[in-house]
Amino acid sequence: MLQLSAAVAGLVTGGAYALMGLSTLLTYRLVAVVNFAQAAVGAFGAFGMVLLHEAGLPLFPAVVCGLAGAAVIHMGLGAVMVRWFSEAGEGVKAAVTIAVFTGLVAVGLRLFGGQHPHRFPSPFDSPVATVGGVVITWTAVVTMALAVLFAVLPTVLLRRTRVGLLLRALSERPTTAELIGIPVPRLSMVVWGTAGAAGALAIMIVAPQLASDFGSQALLITPALAAALVGGFRSFAWTFVGGVALGVLQGLASTVVALQQYRGVLPFLVILVVLLWTRRRDRWDSMA
Amino acid sequence: MRKHLTAGAVFATAALTASVLAGCGSGDGDTIKIGAVAGLTGQFITAEVAKTAQRVFDDVNESGGINGKKIEYIVKDDAGNAQRTAQVARELADAGVVAMAGSASFTDCAVNDGFYRQQKISSVMAVAATPKCFQSPNIAPVNVGPFTLMTAVLLHATQKLGDKAICNFTALLPGDEDAVREALARWEKLSGQALRVNDMTVPQSGDLTPYLLKAKEADCDAILFNPSEQLVVPWLQAAKTQGMQDVDFLLLAPAYTDSVAKAVGGLGLNVYAGSEFEPFTSDSLANKGWRDTVTRAGAAATAFSQGGYLSAKFLVEVLKTIKGEVTRDSVNAALRDMTPIEDPMLGTPWEFGPGEAHAPNQASKIVRLTGLRWVVVDDTFVTVPNA
Repeated sequence: MLQLSAAVAGLVTGGAYALMGLSTLLTYRLVAVVNFAQAAVGAFGAFGMVLLHEAGLPLFPAVVCGLAGAAVIHMGLGAVMVRWFSEAGEGVKAAVTIAVFTGLVAVGLRLFGGQHPHRFPSPFDSPVATVGGVVITWTAVVTMALAVLFAVLPTVLLRRTRVGLLLRALSERPTTAELIGIPVPRLSMVVWGTAGAAGALAIMIVAPQLASDFGSQALLITPALAAALVGGFRSFAWTFVGGVALGVLQGLASTVVALQQYRGVLPFLVILVVLLWTRRRDRWDSMA
Repeated sequence: MRKHLTAGAVFATAALTASVLAGCGSGDGDTIKIGAVAGLTGQFITAEVAKTAQRVFDDVNESGGINGKKIEYIVKDDAGNAQRTAQVARELADAGVVAMAGSASFTDCAVNDGFYRQQKISSVMAVAATPKCFQSPNIAPVNVGPFTLMTAVLLHATQKLGDKAICNFTALLPGDEDAVREALARWEKLSGQALRVNDMTVPQSGDLTPYLLKAKEADCDAILFNPSEQLVVPWLQAAKTQGMQDVDFLLLAPAYTDSVAKAVGGLGLNVYAGSEFEPFTSDSLANKGWRDTVTRAGAAATAFSQGGYLSAKFLVEVLKTIKGEVTRDSVNAALRDMTPIEDPMLGTPWEFGPGEAHAPNQASKIVRLTGLRWVVVDDTFVTVPNA
């Protein structure tokens, strides 16, 4: 019984992981950058929203400002990528985002304080139903719905629309795309902005139920990357599944005495297993 | 000869001169140097502690100092980084401090205990949070500390709230496990009760709902939860979501802050916390001296700043008893032979004394979250007897 409750509770966290994983995947699919700073940028937006809200701004404009803030920061990162690293390999780009991640965490802790918690507004806090002894709130429902939306929308966009086609060209062959007349810098700025805002929205929704400090939120990138990896950094649907499954696994692990203290390691374990599995046919000596 | 020295000093920087003098171990400068290791930057910021202690020393200096000598208070920031913690302690020793007061670094005790022993430096610590702080012959904290506080808060639940089924959920920091187990065992011995659930695997981040579900299933009357402010907020929010309005939530001093009260005061849960000293939110007579000092210091009035105030004040009282030269040795002797100091902000008298370990503060008051404020429940200290 406790296992069932814990698994149901894990669905909520899983939705949050999926959301974060999907916005990371969005950045990767559209501009070909494995962005370690995705959650940190999102946390900036979320904290901007909280500070404005605490200062008396109504919730809706505060959220819009937070999203815009995250979009602008992410576009700044995008500008750096386009300007200096457009021809660099994925490894170099990822390394740049790790550096940005470290910088953002340091600045974020300084700006928003590492110690005292902020009250993240939770407008969807009212209960919907009780499933397996767990009270489910609207937050959980909204998180899940948003995660599904994040999974479906980009898939449709990339497969079915002309913009999607341009975006695919942009991510796979940026130089070729530019040569055939696609306005690459402008288009990629829009993509960076959107992905930044999406990350911020994800953090804003999950923040009230997780530790409310900047560092912990920026570290949501770990389960997010694990989820994206389950989707092979290609499939939005499998990223969604990966995120949710990771949340459920963590919930379950907390009920097993022998496992509970290793709960925090689970995302890394998933990353390791997925990597080993997807590389099982590779010849390891030829990898280097 | 004297002329040569003076000429030399012109060319040397003041700092260099000071460190050279101190390096000789003479300690006979114009001032009495007292050091502190504090977190002014980083994750664990305790700037108000040193600021308040500084004000206490400034007050002493303005009224003539100790036997005509001024106190020079040197505060070093370790940014919560263990290497910096070790480095700044050496810088302070080189600067010739006679003792430490008002330290509030998370890593100070674990990193510097050995160094303090070797250098014969005593530390009257303001905010001690790790087991080592209570196990060193050279360190005597003024605060209760998280371990004794666990026992005190649990005693309050059994004795005053009448809770029967008590559960504990602890997020362990490296090195804390034995001390936490001892604190829990001490309560079990004193109360004759056993914990219904004892889970020491709570993570420092992530969703805490599964742990609350476990508590719900075990039908706990009271739940002790130790982590930081940042985790207390989602913990209580999840508890509210799961409808745990009839449970007593027991928290430790890190949760006893204004920001926690503002963030979770409106949830309608029964939340109690142990204070380290006379509760800082109380306008009592006991707090008058501290409140006046912290206001003049322009520092945040927190429980941490109470620690800064008391540690500085106690050290000054001990320094005043020293006849003759104030050196590390004379300060150590005075701390060893001091008469315990009764202070209305503490439930037990504070003393350094000759022991191999010091934990003089063994009492806490309990505050309860009422509306968006912390309110003192009971105006007597819960004193933890020796088990």
